[in-house]
Amino acid sequence: MKAVKGVLITCDAAVKQILLQMNERRREDNYFVIEDLDQTHLLIKADEEEGMRQELEVELEKNTYSMEP
Amino acid sequence: MAGGSREIKNHALIEFLQSQTQNVLHRLYTRPSACLAIVRLMSPFERQLVMNLLWLEQPLETKQVTSWVTLEGRSAYEAALKTLALLHILPNSKENMSLHSSFKTGLRNGLTGSGDIESFGVPALDVGFEPLSPEELDVYALERWDTTLHFMVTSGTGEASAKPSDGVLYLLEHSGLMRNDQGRRIINSEGFQFLLQSPHAQLWEFMLSYLRMMAEREDMDMVDILGFFFTLSMMQIGQQYSNETLSPTQIIMVADLRDFGLIYFPEHSTTVFQPTRFATSLTSHMQSISEAESKHEDGRDGPHGFVVLETNYHIYAYTNNPLQIAVLNLFVAFKTRFSNLIVGTLTRDSVKRALINGITAEQILSYLVAHAHPQMKKNNPIIPVTVQDQIRLWELERHRVKGQDGYLYKDFGSMNDYEVVVKYARELGVVLWENGAKRMFFADAAGRVLIRNYIERRTAI
Repeated sequence: MKAVKGVLITCDAAVKQILLQMNERRREDNYFVIEDLDQTHLLIKADEEEGMRQELEVELEKNTYSMEP
Repeated sequence: MAGGSREIKNHALIEFLQSQTQNVLHRLYTRPSACLAIVRLMSPFERQLVMNLLWLEQPLETKQVTSWVTLEGRSAYEAALKTLALLHILPNSKENMSLHSSFKTGLRNGLTGSGDIESFGVPALDVGFEPLSPEELDVYALERWDTTLHFMVTSGTGEASAKPSDGVLYLLEHSGLMRNDQGRRIINSEGFQFLLQSPHAQLWEFMLSYLRMMAEREDMDMVDILGFFFTLSMMQIGQQYSNETLSPTQIIMVADLRDFGLIYFPEHSTTVFQPTRFATSLTSHMQSISEAESKHEDGRDGPHGFVVLETNYHIYAYTNNPLQIAVLNLFVAFKTRFSNLIVGTLTRDSVKRALINGITAEQILSYLVAHAHPQMKKNNPIIPVTVQDQIRLWELERHRVKGQDGYLYKDFGSMNDYEVVVKYARELGVVLWENGAKRMFFADAAGRVLIRNYIERRTAI
């Protein structure tokens, strides 16, 4: 039996795919995803949560369009 | 709003009073003004009970009182009894019911005008200068209040605005509405939420913070403080009052409350003060303040209503009040400004900015409803459904990812091992995610030591 410290991420399936992609883009020794749990859950390194959120924010922003000039 | 919500939930001050000791409350009840003010804050049901029992010399049998209550009213009745018992007004007893003698005497005196009449304030006669008229007092009070709110709303934006007095600044920090960041005061998310409340609710929140702050000071007697509060709320607007009979604590309060705009006294006077409408309407219904406010806005618009919101997210706000504009600026992207009208749009970015500041979608919507133009109020629902939904969706967008700290337990030797441990963790209530097929579960960090000990104990056997 093993206990792994981390942060449980609960999100929708689409966001999970984006997160996995973000993880893939990193170098192997720099992965933040520890374990892919199921459709809507991921286990990530505890100290990576803040950085991941910011990166995700930028990623999601690419998919929104503002009417403002 | 006041009537409806008060029936379900007690007034905030009633809750504050319930947290006071019995001794403080009984001493407070010797002041007739306090008893009267408290009765005004009660729910209609509680008031009814108190008034029925007030003039009886003999206690009533509890059975008899209970028989007045219809079946539907039973829960309201029980709630009222509980509140009154916590206030030490009506002791909870299965046999007899009678008001506590200190409250009974206090309220009787208050209604008949006998007893300690000083608790209603001592009018000052022949002070040598003219008092301010009620209109002038309104202008003064609103200016003080708007200065505070305007200071809050512009803090952190770099825009200069008049600074309120040190007393107000201290209270803003103490109450957690603002924080001090290296000498610069910056608004907290509680502060943003505060700005979107109705004026009456704001005033009360401010006053409760003040009471709590005063309660922390050990050199002050709570009875003095609360007593003066109720005295103020019973005073008449336009009248000058003498502070000769006030205790030292109360004299400090007069100075503090002047900063908040509840009291007015001219610079050169040390013996006379006048309450403003803020003070006198504290324990009455909220209309008095909104009326005062509508007068302020040169009386043409009805109270509050100045915002028109269209289904295409365009906002037209008929106002030139800098405070209202600044508050709208929290969640609206402005485009054009005219002398009496300001035009803008609700955009994803502008609403998101508000959400980041800690304002909730619900608060934006309730602010828009409360300040809707009379023309808008004819619509049902007042805010177009598309806009309502979109604002809520924008809020949900921010909560797409939820993170919880803890430990993932995996690589169990057998299914049996897994099941026993996960069952134990479930009993502790720390399991956040589990998957039997993979023999894994994720538990809150709080359960770690307990789970580890449990596994060690099991393997030891």
